[in-house]
Amino acid sequence: MNHSVELLRGEHVTKYFGGLAAVDGVDIVVRSGEIVGLIGPNGSGKTTLFNCLSRLLPIDNGRIVFKGHDITNARPYQVARMGLSRTFQVIRVYRKMTVLENMLISRQWRGETLWGMLKPSHPATERRARELLDFLKLSHLIDEYAGNLSGGQRRLLEIGMALMPDPDLVLLDEATSGVNPTLIEEIKDHIRELNREQGKAFLLIEHNINFIADLCERVYVLNYGKLLAHGTPQEIMENEAVIEAYFGA
Amino acid sequence: MDKLLQALLNGLLLGGFYGVMVLGFSIIWGVMGVINLAHGEFLMMGAYMAWALFRAFGLDPFASLVIVMPVMFIVGYLLQRLILNRVIERPHLMALLVTFGISISIANIYKVVYTASPRNVPVSYNGSVELFGLTFPIVKTLVFFVALSMMFILHLFLQRTRLGKSIRAAAQNKNAARIVGIEIDRVYAITAGICIALTGAAGAMLSPTQAIFPFMGAPFTLKAFTITALGGLGRIPGALLGGIILGMTEVLVATFVPGIGTNLGVAVSFVLLVVMLIVRPQGLLSGLRPMEEVE
Amino acid sequence: MNIWQRMASWRGLIGWLILVTLLALYPYTGLSGSQLFTLSQVFVLVTLASNWNLIGGMTGYVDFGHAVFFGIGAYTMGILVTPVEMAFSPHLTFWQALPFAGITAALFALVIGLPTLRLKGPYFSIAMLGTFVAMREIIRIAAPITGGGKGLDLPPVLDRISDYYFTLALMGFVVAFIWWIRRSEFGATLIAIREDEVGAEMRGINTTQHKIIAFVTAAFFTGLVGGFWAWQNTYIDPDVVFIESRTVEMVMMSMLGGLGTVWGPPLGAVVLYFMRDILWANLLDYHLISLGVLLIVLVLFMPEGILGTLGDRSSTSLLHLWRRERHPSPSNQDSGGNT
Repeated sequence: MNHSVELLRGEHVTKYFGGLAAVDGVDIVVRSGEIVGLIGPNGSGKTTLFNCLSRLLPIDNGRIVFKGHDITNARPYQVARMGLSRTFQVIRVYRKMTVLENMLISRQWRGETLWGMLKPSHPATERRARELLDFLKLSHLIDEYAGNLSGGQRRLLEIGMALMPDPDLVLLDEATSGVNPTLIEEIKDHIRELNREQGKAFLLIEHNINFIADLCERVYVLNYGKLLAHGTPQEIMENEAVIEAYFGA
Repeated sequence: MDKLLQALLNGLLLGGFYGVMVLGFSIIWGVMGVINLAHGEFLMMGAYMAWALFRAFGLDPFASLVIVMPVMFIVGYLLQRLILNRVIERPHLMALLVTFGISISIANIYKVVYTASPRNVPVSYNGSVELFGLTFPIVKTLVFFVALSMMFILHLFLQRTRLGKSIRAAAQNKNAARIVGIEIDRVYAITAGICIALTGAAGAMLSPTQAIFPFMGAPFTLKAFTITALGGLGRIPGALLGGIILGMTEVLVATFVPGIGTNLGVAVSFVLLVVMLIVRPQGLLSGLRPMEEVE
Repeated sequence: MNIWQRMASWRGLIGWLILVTLLALYPYTGLSGSQLFTLSQVFVLVTLASNWNLIGGMTGYVDFGHAVFFGIGAYTMGILVTPVEMAFSPHLTFWQALPFAGITAALFALVIGLPTLRLKGPYFSIAMLGTFVAMREIIRIAAPITGGGKGLDLPPVLDRISDYYFTLALMGFVVAFIWWIRRSEFGATLIAIREDEVGAEMRGINTTQHKIIAFVTAAFFTGLVGGFWAWQNTYIDPDVVFIESRTVEMVMMSMLGGLGTVWGPPLGAVVLYFMRDILWANLLDYHLISLGVLLIVLVLFMPEGILGTLGDRSSTSLLHLWRRERHPSPSNQDSGGNT
């Protein structure tokens, strides 16, 4: 994969919550085909940064560029249509819909006419959903309500939903929290496979350091909303400031 | 210039009334998280009660407050115990629908009992006094000062008494209040009682200046909502400020929009409401509790 | 998919069309004028309930002022056809005026929806209630055109059989249309907005556009019904047109049957109509009192409606509608607050 193409760039991203800077002048870059980690202690602003990058939250300062387009003021749905998908720390699946319906609703909405949308889902969309569910080993749950799934299954479903529109970059917010160890290994394999086979880029928020170390080429560390360190997993784990931030002096 | 000053004075007087009118609505919302769509109907009940007392015993509407307020307190207390209790800590929409149901029921019960024909309370002192080149309508001026005193007393009650402090504690953190041994249900019921009593009092004070009919309530509910949007939740100064802003806006529109201005009150209130909700949902003053915060 | 499965996915619509056909043949059994009138009243209620359901049940924006579109439709019809000479009286015929009833309501929905549909949960409900109350006053004030409190007379036309077929056709179309939307991708996006609006937006759905379309569509048909109602009633004034109970009925019929389902609101409408007919024999005041009480009881004890209680999964309860508000959304994370 050509790593030189820049997918997502956040320049000096700043977000205040009532006078407190939750994210403070963070510069972050994800290139195509990369798997990048984002770590930091609780409350360090990781999810807020995600929310800023995916345009869920308006930023107070800075600039966000995705695939060469300035998306600082774009609406979230526009960013999603450009090929940036994400999952959520607090899982957002449609509990009252079946697994299949959840997948169908997450399809690529790019360039859809209203008239076209007055039809039921296209067979091709459904085929893609079934393939992805196969890939994620969720096929046996296809007609189950998302509300009846276990936490880990919901994480997987949400990843599947993020993959439905065939994005270039997926932001995964704690994809392993509340997931049992076997499933974590599976998720890891899925991410690696998607990255190698389809060249999808990932930006991961994680608490699971091994997960990061196994997957990521580069890692950003946030602390108190500021960028504390940046480098390979190896460098990060040996970085004094990072160790201090995590374990205290 | 005189016209403008007079309009501002009238707006101020109206605003004082609005301030006390809205308190019941905004405190119930602030303390219990219940948006009471039957607010206007309780006001209407107070007005009818004042009218009935005036007709039967010739009792002055201001004097009748000593009867209206305790009776309405009991109404509020029972309302909370029987119905509102079940929707507190439940979805906002449930409370909204339930109080909507209460509002329709009350208005139509009154229509069956009293018919739809408008009633009046013609007090003898319904004139006006000239002072500093301005006209002071006697009843409205009286209402203004009574309203201010009520707000002051309520303020003292909330700040100084044990019960008042419990109410404020319950508004801020239910669970913490529970832990320190406050009986939340009792506090809620008393709060509802006080709020409905205030609302009834506002209705009684309104009776000499406006025709009383079963469907007079709805515009007041809407205005209460607007004032709360302007002044924030459950704060007495906010209620007064919001009330004065709405009152002045209404009177100014009525004075300076020729012909139709007088009847535009509700429309004005609505425009203010939507603008506030969209532009500044946290209320006009910073530091006031935004409406969004109370779930 | 074999032919039988394909048929099965259409059975709702087929069943509905059969029912409508049977109802179209029903007058040939010799119905009296009052029976025709009763049935057309029921058809009107079903149409209104289905429309309300599109925005309130499927999209999850509980509209407390939807009758404002009914009122606008009624007044558009009234102004356009009244034989009385007002400031603006083009004296159109019913059929000429009818499209305007729908279009005016839809345009108003567009204008009012752009700001109000940005509001969440109860704030939207209140804003629409406010719109409704304000519109009644505005109609009262605009006396040179609307006749103000005195009202407007329409040409006195009594044609029960035409009324019957008009309302039947409108109901037949609207319910079929809702059925169509419900199984389309567009319908799915509406449900997604109801369940989690932020999530829908983050997955590439232009939520603003979809909400507006649902709202405007619901307003259009409600406006048509209002226009027809004015014609049938031959007289309108602000109080009979903008009556609170009309909105309440729309909300309640949908809730009674099951919010967000295709068949719930029609079922709720039929149940509510016959309940009011049997219980109170059209004693309006008592009917309204019982309506209020019923609303309270319904919310407290049966929030998922008849179909929801029977297990229709597209039915939603109010509890559920509220849940989405608790998701972190831009408005409540951002203390600057620009909802």
